[in-house]
Amino acid sequence: MSASDPAGAAAGAPAVAIEQLRKSYGPITALDGASISVDTGEIFGLVGPNGAGKTTLIKAICGILKPDSGSVSVLGLDAARERHAVRRRLGYMPQTPALYEDLSPRENLVFFGRGFRTSGLSDRIRDVLEFVELWERRDDPLHNFSGGMKQRASLACALLRDPELLILDEPTAGVDPTLKQNFWRRFRELKERGRTIFVTTNMMDEALHCDRVAVIRAGSVLITETPEAIRARGRTRVTLGLRDGSLREQEVLAYEEEMPRLLAAYGLSDEVARISVRRPSLEDVVLGMIAGDAGAGEKPAHGGAHGGAHGGRTTGAHPGAGADAEDGGNV
Amino acid sequence: MFSNINAIAVRINRQFLRDRRFLGLSLIVPVLLMLLLKYVLDSLPGLARLGVHISDYAILVAAYLVHFLAYVLSTIVLVRDRKDGTLGRMFVYGYRRREIVLGYVGGYSTIAAVQTALVLILTKYLFDINLAPDLIAVVLTMLALAVVSVGLGVFISNFARNEGQVFPFIPLVIVPTALLSGIAIPIDELPRVLQWCSYLIPLRYAVSVLDGVLNQHRSFFSELGPFLTLVAVGAGLLATASLTLRERE
Repeated sequence: MSASDPAGAAAGAPAVAIEQLRKSYGPITALDGASISVDTGEIFGLVGPNGAGKTTLIKAICGILKPDSGSVSVLGLDAARERHAVRRRLGYMPQTPALYEDLSPRENLVFFGRGFRTSGLSDRIRDVLEFVELWERRDDPLHNFSGGMKQRASLACALLRDPELLILDEPTAGVDPTLKQNFWRRFRELKERGRTIFVTTNMMDEALHCDRVAVIRAGSVLITETPEAIRARGRTRVTLGLRDGSLREQEVLAYEEEMPRLLAAYGLSDEVARISVRRPSLEDVVLGMIAGDAGAGEKPAHGGAHGGAHGGRTTGAHPGAGADAEDGGNV
Repeated sequence: MFSNINAIAVRINRQFLRDRRFLGLSLIVPVLLMLLLKYVLDSLPGLARLGVHISDYAILVAAYLVHFLAYVLSTIVLVRDRKDGTLGRMFVYGYRRREIVLGYVGGYSTIAAVQTALVLILTKYLFDINLAPDLIAVVLTMLALAVVSVGLGVFISNFARNEGQVFPFIPLVIVPTALLSGIAIPIDELPRVLQWCSYLIPLRYAVSVLDGVLNQHRSFFSELGPFLTLVAVGAGLLATASLTLRERE
């Protein structure tokens, strides 16, 4: 892909700033005073259950929503009044592929690329289709594609103009674990090239790929923090099984520091200051099997900026690290 | 602007060509309906005794068919685009409302023109109507009607969130059109209130032109009034569709 320096928002200004956004559809309140600030160059995750208001918020950023009140600033521009200028600078991947199934990926990209008269369109199309590994299928109609391939075509469309800000609405919904990993690897590559990525998900394990995460419920943002900080708010239940068959259960806030203290009562040397346990997640094991790598589960499934956060099930390897399997389900 | 309008029209026509079943039905349905009309009218010899010339009605019914098919087709496809998210994506990817409306008109007018040509050929041979002297007037009127129908479809699509919600709007337009356009009942014979209402029916103006040049043997020039009104209705509908096409929810 061609790399151009993003002419982002003014230095220090957030890429996206949403203040007290409200939107109702009749009696249903979709957004109830949501506020979010996304820094330039970060991967920002919006996490919440279905119907929490994630897609509505994304539509507001893209200027295809008329909020009842509140403000949305994108790359320093008003997302409502200056929506056409905003749209020139962002890439949007809706929750559904939202492409024409009778047409091929190339024909879809030509069509959507012409809207803003994308320069060097043919080269860009080749770049993005190679990026999502669909170049070989560029002329096949989309109705012959699997769900994951359509998602890749949709991502290619979002990347077509090499946007400063990438808006992704549940990009990995319905895609298999291998493809999901590929997607996240690509998002990190884009981040390393200075792009800002705003992504929604209802999968907790995906939130761990983000630099910061906002949790949304019933149209309100509950918390915006790093995944590690959010994780640290949770308590760990520790159960010790003794030889006499009895169990000792206790909840601890900081697991790795608390474990040596707990075990000291059973003879653990005070030389041990921290205890970390690392187990592969089910996803790691399955991916290892698919790849024919028996030991895959014992090591991080892939590298990248987030290191252990993408690897196996890690408990207390270092503060906040670890994509625990118990965090991996839907919200 | 013209580049984007063209891109949309080309994309729509490409989709038509890819969807063989849809394309086939779009062309076969008007043929079947014209054959049905011929069969029904031929089986009613009493009409001739009453002084009714079947051929007088054939071209008017053909115009009604073009209007109906273009209206329904454009409404449903635009609603589908909205539901599938492709319309929203078009907005985010730089297409403006007026470009979308005109692009859809361009795209659907192509297939409407093909349907019109097919219907006119069938009318000529099935009902033995000599269209040649008035061909330009007939073709221009039918094309203007097709554009009006697509504009109406785009406008109506604003009120439906899915294909299912389109269906109540079909009789809402089609039944008054059949009753008040002058095809079934001469407008002069309608109650005064309904005569006023008939001014709201776009097909009325097309029927007036076609009936004038083909059945009353008047010149196209003398029918310029209703023809220009039809064109103005089309322009008004397209402007309304452009202004009302929902860009933001």
